[in-house]
Amino acid sequence: MPRILLVEDNEMNRDMLSRRLERRGYEVLIAVDGQLGLEMAREESPDLILMDMSLPVMDGWEATRTLKTAPETRHIPVIALTAHAMSTDREKALEAGCDDYDTKPIELPRLLGKIEALLGGTEKTPVGDATP
Amino acid sequence: MSTKPFVEAIETYAQDIVDTVREPLLMLDTNLRVQSANRAFYETFHVSPNETERQLIYELGNGQWDIPDLRTLLEDVIPASSVFNDYELEHTFPIIGRRVMLLNGRKLRAGSHAAIIVLAMEDVTERRRAEADFRAIETYAQDIVDTVREPLLILDKTLRVQSGNRAFYHTFLVSAEETENRLIYELGNGQWDIPALRTLLEDIVPKSSVFNDFELEHDFPTLGRRVMLLNARKLQAGHHGELLVLAMEDVTERRRAEEEVAKAKEASEIANRTKSLFLANMSHELRTPLNAIVGYSEMLQEEAVEQNLESFDSDLGKINASGRHLLALINDILDLSKIEAGKMELYLESFDLNALIDDVASTIQPMVVANANTFNIVRPADLGRMLADQVKVRQALYNLLSNAAKFTHEGTITLTAERHRMDSSEWVVFRVADTGIGLAAEKILRLFQDFTQADASTTRKFGGTGLGLALTRRFCQMMGGDVTVHSLPGEGSTFTIKLPADVSEAKMESSEPASESSGTLNVGNRSTDPLPEPNTCVLVIDDDPAQRDLMRRFLTSEGFCVRSARGGEEGLRLARQLVPIAITLDVMMPEMDGWSVLEALKADPALSGVPVVMLTMVDDSERGFALGADDYVMKPVNRRRLGKILKRYSCADPPCPILIVDDDAATRGLMRTMLEKQGCIVTEAENGEAALASMELNRPSLIFLDLLMPVMDGFVFVDRVRQRREWRTIPIVVVTAHELSSSDRRRLNGNVEEVIQKSGRPADDLQAQVSEALKNFGVFTSTPLPL
Repeated sequence: MPRILLVEDNEMNRDMLSRRLERRGYEVLIAVDGQLGLEMAREESPDLILMDMSLPVMDGWEATRTLKTAPETRHIPVIALTAHAMSTDREKALEAGCDDYDTKPIELPRLLGKIEALLGGTEKTPVGDATP
Repeated sequence: MSTKPFVEAIETYAQDIVDTVREPLLMLDTNLRVQSANRAFYETFHVSPNETERQLIYELGNGQWDIPDLRTLLEDVIPASSVFNDYELEHTFPIIGRRVMLLNGRKLRAGSHAAIIVLAMEDVTERRRAEADFRAIETYAQDIVDTVREPLLILDKTLRVQSGNRAFYHTFLVSAEETENRLIYELGNGQWDIPALRTLLEDIVPKSSVFNDFELEHDFPTLGRRVMLLNARKLQAGHHGELLVLAMEDVTERRRAEEEVAKAKEASEIANRTKSLFLANMSHELRTPLNAIVGYSEMLQEEAVEQNLESFDSDLGKINASGRHLLALINDILDLSKIEAGKMELYLESFDLNALIDDVASTIQPMVVANANTFNIVRPADLGRMLADQVKVRQALYNLLSNAAKFTHEGTITLTAERHRMDSSEWVVFRVADTGIGLAAEKILRLFQDFTQADASTTRKFGGTGLGLALTRRFCQMMGGDVTVHSLPGEGSTFTIKLPADVSEAKMESSEPASESSGTLNVGNRSTDPLPEPNTCVLVIDDDPAQRDLMRRFLTSEGFCVRSARGGEEGLRLARQLVPIAITLDVMMPEMDGWSVLEALKADPALSGVPVVMLTMVDDSERGFALGADDYVMKPVNRRRLGKILKRYSCADPPCPILIVDDDAATRGLMRTMLEKQGCIVTEAENGEAALASMELNRPSLIFLDLLMPVMDGFVFVDRVRQRREWRTIPIVVVTAHELSSSDRRRLNGNVEEVIQKSGRPADDLQAQVSEALKNFGVFTSTPLPL
């Protein structure tokens, strides 16, 4: 079962998205700010990270930049979740090293498509501990 | 000796005197008959002695002297007093016209002669006229002075008040009596004894005859604290001597108003920033709960479907659709306010057109179905990709399609997409045609205005903010295209969007350099930029993409070629590669800050000459200049100022010319031919001085310089050029017929890039060297060649 780390500070968004993803067979790990997201990514080595960009403690851009420069987390695909049409947010997300982005409110089928595309790419070259 | 000849002699003598007198004289006997007249009389009144002598005065000249006043004088005054002085008589004489005569009379008894009356007439007509004119002028001047609404004082040389005008008395609540003939400092209990005024009147005025707008702030006992603007003129006023006119303008209110305007401006700027911040916050605050509404309803819908709860499914669908609608409205309003604040930016990416159309079509499908419409898409299979802001293209298409679906019932909506080649560029055309209610001509005019729907009742009937079309048009225009409409009432409407297939080409002549960061998806490949024109590029180093974008647009519109770097490392690399004409450098950057970049630039011999303009939030110009910054601009950037600064470092009128400085016209001609063959713009100067003058007008990109010239030789010229910061980077190639001595070389050392020997070489050899120099300095070579 692919494990997705969802880094999202808004409780309802978190609850909603995690439930919908779980229903589609993903194991969802939760972090509520960028710093915790970073720590969980290091400890749990998830298959994919869904990263909100405006997060407390450490924002999503900074967390992604850090993830993408650390050898042990660099390979984990990150999908940025940004607000509608905030082109600067998106541009900054891609500059920070995000592999893809999606806008809120989440269109689940579209997001699932992006998740599957990125997971399909990484499954061939698993790095780090095998997922249980 | 007999007394008779003696008396005759005296009479002749008297007659001579009388004739010499220039004013007309009449000698009358006591019967008022003319005994004689002098020459002046005959000449003045154009009469002869025959017509005059022995005539009664009143009969002279057909009775023209029969004047009642004269009768009074001669018949009443003279007999009583024997003398009268300056009797003024105004009379119209038939021959000489209306005259004012000043009459003086004496009754004389001359020896044995009977008593005679000597009547002297002075024609004072002109004098009286002049006096009247003068009085009129004085009155006129006084009237003007009194009419002037600002207080005036007229002072004499000793600073005593000659007069004030009405406004002065009115303003300072004083009378003329309290004012005139007093020293200005004594006025109103010394309220004008102001040190600044003393300085002005005693030090400044004596040295110059005029002073303007001397501002004086003073507490006047009668008026309170006032700001006065003093203006003065020294005048030579005829018999009045030298006068000083002192005009005082009370600008207290104006100053107060100016202060208020400045305060209001500041307040409005703050308010504007607050508004932007509020909008940004509101966008987040509104979207967060809406996301929950949209998300949960959708999630519950999924569950309802799974559990076969169909009635829940449709109700949850309504919540979901309403949530999405509300979100769309909020987004529209925010987008429009962003456009209005100039904050809307384009994010260009390359995307597949068919995929975009499929995506929009599936989004619009529920709306199409709701009104029982049929939706057709007409497009070629090889529609290909476009480089544009995908979100905005999608939104524009969605807006047109949702309008069509909204205003059409049981009809057909057709979306046509095509590629066109027009004016040597590629365009993408979307056409949305419906068979709906259509639009009347006068409604079409209002269609694209903000907050305007074709009809106010439309809002009630169909909903919406009325922003969709306004946004669509703004988006299209931002991307270098437009949207147009063709419609007839009852026959449906066709909206057409035309966009450049490559918005970066159409809109921005140069775009961001390709990013080095890996792993980007869906980002257009920007490495296909054409190479920039030599030596016109400005390098923008800034970590903020919005700022880079702004600078790029502005500088491009100012005629610069712009490259940008998102940080210090990339900036230094690009600087070495491009050798830009100037660099704008942001101070606050993560990783490598602007100061470090500046230090690195100035430490690199190839780049130390490139002017660097620091852009910063904090005024730290001393540090900047100490580190070698050439200029300094505070953020937010005043674009006009930045443009001006950068223009100093490039030429005012690109393409920048190549300057030939040589006193020999034949050599200049030869060089010009060579250079023009290479496509260069050439200017010539016959000596250093003329060259400097020409450089003031337009900065050359390269100078070919002869050394030995009259007026100003090449050595002095080089020194002068290198003294000017904005000229320091212009390469100078010395073209000389002489062997350079070692002292010559020392003088030029480090200041010229190359020396070409022109003597004893065939012309094509010179040509080759000139071409070589062009290649070296026209394009991307920065390393100065050693001498």
